[in-house]
Amino acid sequence: MSIPAKSGLGEGKDKDEDLRVLLVEDSDADSELILRELKRAGFRVVSELVKSAEHFQQTLDRFVPDIVLADYNLGQWSGMGALELVRAKGLDLPLILVSGALGEINAVECIKQGATDYVLKDSLTRLPVSIRRALAEQKLRLQRKEAEHELALKVQELARSNSDLEQFAYVASHDLQEPLRMVAMYTQLLGERYRGKLDEQADKYIHYSVDGALRMQTLVQDLLVFSRAGREGTKMMQVNCNLLMKQVLKNLEASIKESNAEIIAENLPTVLANSTQLQQVLQNLVANSIKFRGARVPRVSIRAKQVGAEWLFELSDNGIGIAAEHADRIFVIFQRLHTREEYSGNGIGLSICKKIIERHGGRIWVSANEQEGATFHFTLPQTEKWKTEQPHTKELNKDFNEESNYEETSRSLVSG
Amino acid sequence: MTLNTEILLVEDNQDDLDLTLHALKRENLANNIMIARDGEEALDFFFCRGKFAGRSMENPPRLVLLDLKLPKLNGIEVLQQVKSDPRTKSIPIVVLTSSTEEIDLVRSYNLGANSYIQKPVNFAEFRQTVKHLGLYWLVVNQPVPANAWEISGQAQ
Amino acid sequence: MKKRAEVLLVDDNPADLDLTRDLLASTGQQRTINTVIDGEEAIDFLRRNGKYISARSPDLIILDLNLPRKNGWQVLEEVKSDPKLRATPVVIFSTSEANHDIGGCYRLGANSYVRKPGNLQEFMSVIRSIGQFWFESATLPDKEAL
Repeated sequence: MSIPAKSGLGEGKDKDEDLRVLLVEDSDADSELILRELKRAGFRVVSELVKSAEHFQQTLDRFVPDIVLADYNLGQWSGMGALELVRAKGLDLPLILVSGALGEINAVECIKQGATDYVLKDSLTRLPVSIRRALAEQKLRLQRKEAEHELALKVQELARSNSDLEQFAYVASHDLQEPLRMVAMYTQLLGERYRGKLDEQADKYIHYSVDGALRMQTLVQDLLVFSRAGREGTKMMQVNCNLLMKQVLKNLEASIKESNAEIIAENLPTVLANSTQLQQVLQNLVANSIKFRGARVPRVSIRAKQVGAEWLFELSDNGIGIAAEHADRIFVIFQRLHTREEYSGNGIGLSICKKIIERHGGRIWVSANEQEGATFHFTLPQTEKWKTEQPHTKELNKDFNEESNYEETSRSLVSG
Repeated sequence: MTLNTEILLVEDNQDDLDLTLHALKRENLANNIMIARDGEEALDFFFCRGKFAGRSMENPPRLVLLDLKLPKLNGIEVLQQVKSDPRTKSIPIVVLTSSTEEIDLVRSYNLGANSYIQKPVNFAEFRQTVKHLGLYWLVVNQPVPANAWEISGQAQ
Repeated sequence: MKKRAEVLLVDDNPADLDLTRDLLASTGQQRTINTVIDGEEAIDFLRRNGKYISARSPDLIILDLNLPRKNGWQVLEEVKSDPKLRATPVVIFSTSEANHDIGGCYRLGANSYVRKPGNLQEFMSVIRSIGQFWFESATLPDKEAL
């Protein structure tokens, strides 16, 4: 006959709570007391009582409790033994020791070993509170695990989606090259063969076709370079940035000489990065600083410092700068702020920098004004935070995964 | 060996050597030239031993001009050894010889010589030949990619 | 070049085939330029199979990689592993700049690898250089002597 359940303690729950209890107790009297206390507190209890390890094992095989209430001392066995059996089964099952005299030190030791709580048999009124708290904590743990799992799935999906996009960009730009080559070359041939032999309009039309085709070619080549950037393996190692800068200066020798540019690299650190890619970033930034110079002789300075767990690099120039409202746009592929007559290039240099830095787990941004020039900032984490990618399917052209032809990328960098 | 050798010239005859170097210089191709005077020195160069022990096998020359009449080990032998070793077989070797023997021509190509040039007797013609050769092998022809050298030792 | 040179051009792109043939023929003296459009035709030509029974063995092969039926790799391999054919210089002429393509061709014994340029000026200049080197400077193997 069920008695209307009430929480005798008036703490929180008024409604019935179902509770499955596995009771490990050798005294029948004590188990009666415990169950009665639970009923008084408003729990609708379904319980099983065991007194030995074997019985515990067997019961656990067919009865899944919400909680285990165990006496500390059962003669031949112990409540802590029950805890071990629960662990061995890999269950996340709270276990509360309900015991006679336990001693403070002993109790703390038990909790350290994994018991959720302990309640003295002469203060059974504490038991319901303890049970509720244990269950609440368990619920929280479960929610957290689910959230983590979902996050992991989302990250995986995002990586796959990014990877699909990149595959597409690569395949599209790769497959476009051949027909584009046809159009470019053979309109040029047409121009050569018939220039002056048709009428003036024809000459103009041919010229426009050739011009358009050649521009398409460089755009597609740039897209190819962009889709490959940041993909050449994940060889992270300790990279001496001063050595990288030396190579950068060598690669940009011609334009440095032509513009009388002064490049000052203060004692740069050794960082954990992909050497080829980091060099690409530095080269792109320096090349841009030289290209987008104003009336003044270009002066570029590069420095780095440690900020928290990251390296912060700053590259400043005295060029034409960038208006604040364009600060984000410039990192987007093919975004240009000037006409082709003013400055050449398709606008991929900075988008490549961004891609590479972000793959390293860093951030890149610009602070600039049109009077003083631009300062590019980027961070690199000090420990490996390489963004992992989905492995590619075999249908993908081998090209995509191969080592980049360094000369190829650096050739197009200077025009970027 | 800090600078990378672009052209390895294997020639023992001083006059021929002078002429070739002269022609290369006139065509502005004379940077980073290494000279080997006999077949053994040539092999030492290729396999980074002896006089050339400091060289790295990962920095092959862009082009080899190989005479056939050499002391110690002749050009055919050099060709044979270099073209049968996976570590060195991809190095472009152009036989540059005054020999007019058919057998030399056929054997060289059979052993894997990338090309074969019979030195013109006339210097003006020779200079022209060097010009075309330089343009072709140093500009038009694609060199073996750098990273391929690391794996060229592996079985195909 | 003393005697008449026989060239085999292998390319599935009819536009490139035409242009290359025109350019090679015009820059030079005595040359016969034969063309085939896929890998199997190339092999048939080289082995004088079927309709190619009276084909003359080429002194130089200019070979693209992307071909239908048998691709350029297979043709290269067949040529370089056949004692009767392997002395023939093979110049790979392909749009691919991929390292593994270039390295792979050299490993299979290609004599030279030339990238097919994307614009007309470069294309013409490259073909001119091929012609100047292989037909005017180099000595091609004499097929009759093999």
